[in-house]
Amino acid sequence: MSTAAEQTAHTSPSQPDASQTSAPNVIYRWDLDKTYLRTDFDTFMSLLRTAFEDAEDKRTVPGAATLLRELRQSGQGRARICFISGSPRQMRKVLTEKLRLDGIEFDEFVLKPNLRNMLTGRFRALREQVGYKLPALLAGRAGVTDKTREVCFGDDAESDALIYSLYGDLLSRRVDRTVLEQVLRSAGTYEDDASRTISLFESLPHAEAVERIFIHLDRKSPPSKFDRYGTRLVPIYNYFQAALVLFQDERLEAAAVVRVAVEMVDRHAYSVDSLRNSLQDLLRRRRVSVATVNRLGRIIADGAGERDLLPALGSLPGTRELLRALARGLRDLGPLSEQELGPPPVDTPIDYLAALADLPRRHKRK
Amino acid sequence: MSGHVIERKPITIVVDAMGGDHAPEEVVAAACALSLEAAGEPASEPRAGSRPATGKPSGDKSATEKPEARSDGGEPLHLLLVGDAPRLSGLLMKQRYDAERISIHHASQVITMDESPREALIQKPDSSIAVAARLCAEGRASALVSAGNTGAAVLSCVQHWKRLPGIRRCALAAVYPTEVRRGEKDDPFSLILDVGATLDATADDLVSFAVMGAAYASRISKNPRPKVALLSNGAEAGKGPKEVVAAHARLKELRGLHFIGNVEGVDIPRGVADVVICSGFVGNVVLKMLEGVSETVVRLAHYAYKEKLMWRAGLAMLSGGIGKLKDLTDWKQYGGAPLLGFDHLLIKAHGRSQAQAIQNAIKVAKKGVSSGLLADMERGLREAALHSEDAT
Repeated sequence: MSTAAEQTAHTSPSQPDASQTSAPNVIYRWDLDKTYLRTDFDTFMSLLRTAFEDAEDKRTVPGAATLLRELRQSGQGRARICFISGSPRQMRKVLTEKLRLDGIEFDEFVLKPNLRNMLTGRFRALREQVGYKLPALLAGRAGVTDKTREVCFGDDAESDALIYSLYGDLLSRRVDRTVLEQVLRSAGTYEDDASRTISLFESLPHAEAVERIFIHLDRKSPPSKFDRYGTRLVPIYNYFQAALVLFQDERLEAAAVVRVAVEMVDRHAYSVDSLRNSLQDLLRRRRVSVATVNRLGRIIADGAGERDLLPALGSLPGTRELLRALARGLRDLGPLSEQELGPPPVDTPIDYLAALADLPRRHKRK
Repeated sequence: MSGHVIERKPITIVVDAMGGDHAPEEVVAAACALSLEAAGEPASEPRAGSRPATGKPSGDKSATEKPEARSDGGEPLHLLLVGDAPRLSGLLMKQRYDAERISIHHASQVITMDESPREALIQKPDSSIAVAARLCAEGRASALVSAGNTGAAVLSCVQHWKRLPGIRRCALAAVYPTEVRRGEKDDPFSLILDVGATLDATADDLVSFAVMGAAYASRISKNPRPKVALLSNGAEAGKGPKEVVAAHARLKELRGLHFIGNVEGVDIPRGVADVVICSGFVGNVVLKMLEGVSETVVRLAHYAYKEKLMWRAGLAMLSGGIGKLKDLTDWKQYGGAPLLGFDHLLIKAHGRSQAQAIQNAIKVAKKGVSSGLLADMERGLREAALHSEDAT
């Protein structure tokens, strides 16, 4: 019998070259629902609607498509894009079509075998995520070098923060087999899934692989809820915030950050004030530094109306105005002093069993 | 890309986050709830099966999704909280909020409720209320909400804001529950101004108060033709001090204003007028007396409840109705007292305000801005000035 976490990799319609699939230097792992797609399945009716939606009707979270394209491009052929979703495999066609419509190239697309789980009576696996996503992530690590870094994107609706953090700590061996076994047991993972997860964990070499985890606050959960996961995990309200952190992490260039911002303003009616508030929020939470903001402001201000950034963005007058407003907005944030910022986040060992216990009931065994 | 950048300018309300008996906790809670409301999110933690859908699916989803759009079709609301930034940040992070709609401006000092406003403002130039008024003046926000020291709030506005053309003195307005309901929303309140921004008022001041009060009732209560009256000691035009008599003569001739003449104190709770005009000294005495009467009635009810079983039974039977009346006339529902006459709007919330009252005060401030209240006042004042010139 296949396990719930059986993985199926698919190449993108664009057929990436061998270097992309064989030797990536960075893997961007994305959840789909509520992370990339604005999905509403909190009620039965909305779940039904989601299940029968056409690709054209599916809505992308503002900025996510541009960010993904920029991440792909920034890797210069060595960035791998992998989707892992709790949606059933029967939705593969419509979901891949949606990504194609958004111009997203991907290397891996993992969906949950929900129909099989149902037919074989594995009802717990229908909603349980740890026993599905964790082995899928570990399996996706096969064939890459220990130098390959990972950036993970999830949301606050389920257990993405816990799963991605645990995944990173398993690879770095900050979490051992005993804790893993306890977590899998507490999560109510089926025995065969648990065994497979443990074997995958033991087969992989030590790697400080997961460098950043983004949790999209789709439900607007309080950011402090994620304090236990330390500085690696950044709760974000939108993808402009993710782009800013990735600029700080040197995964994106300033022009890419601006393109994400432009998409949010142009296609989703964001105001420059909203973007500035988002940026200030990150500063207050100390997830980006004042130096980073100043650097970005300088680059944009130098480029706006001049040369540097405009060729990449096109010569739209509105875009130029937006850039100027954004640069002014960055300057308006003022010289924030240490006393004006919130307490810095701290890194302490994560108590995964406590974290699991704090999740909504469906993620742990009663 | 669609080829053009559409930026929707939000309405920013600056909030004195350190002002009030329950600040900053309740102020931050109010801001968080409003930020979620503006984003179409439920203010409480959504649970499976209970969360309302935030948007309807339609054709090209990416292109039509408008996170800045509000359910009421108005401009998006942004909140600028002024106060101890690290403390405010710490409070924010523990709550559900929308970071796209809230920003913080640091102010290192606080003026407490019992401080002398004038001295405190001199000694504390970086107080949250002074900084908030300054940010408004600089164009960073369109209106100010404070539940802090009233004197300090008014003085800060005097120091930083400009008066509307033709305004010599500003007026603080208050609402009082009446028998009669009015306006599109059936508000059971009349507006009284001035209730203490300044002590005395000339005939010119009273005329400008009338124009501003009428504009406020028209825009905020959606009362298209509010009845305006002067508070005096008799209904006749010649009754009252000379400035009231002079104001009466001028208001009677003012076109565009529904002036119904003089009213007496007893007419206020009856709701004879929608807008009652008086000097700050008189208004403050009237307001305090009306509050005193209400409190006495409540105390008498308590006394009756304790005194006799029959009275207790009667009160118990009436308790549902009394509760509804209480809700109807609850100051928390109405937001706060507007300070009128400046080029920005101050909504002064009650010092005891908790999150709900502060939310309502912010909503009133936003409504004042989005409805074009200040422009309406300016227009009315211009007409009054022209009429005054014609008369002379």
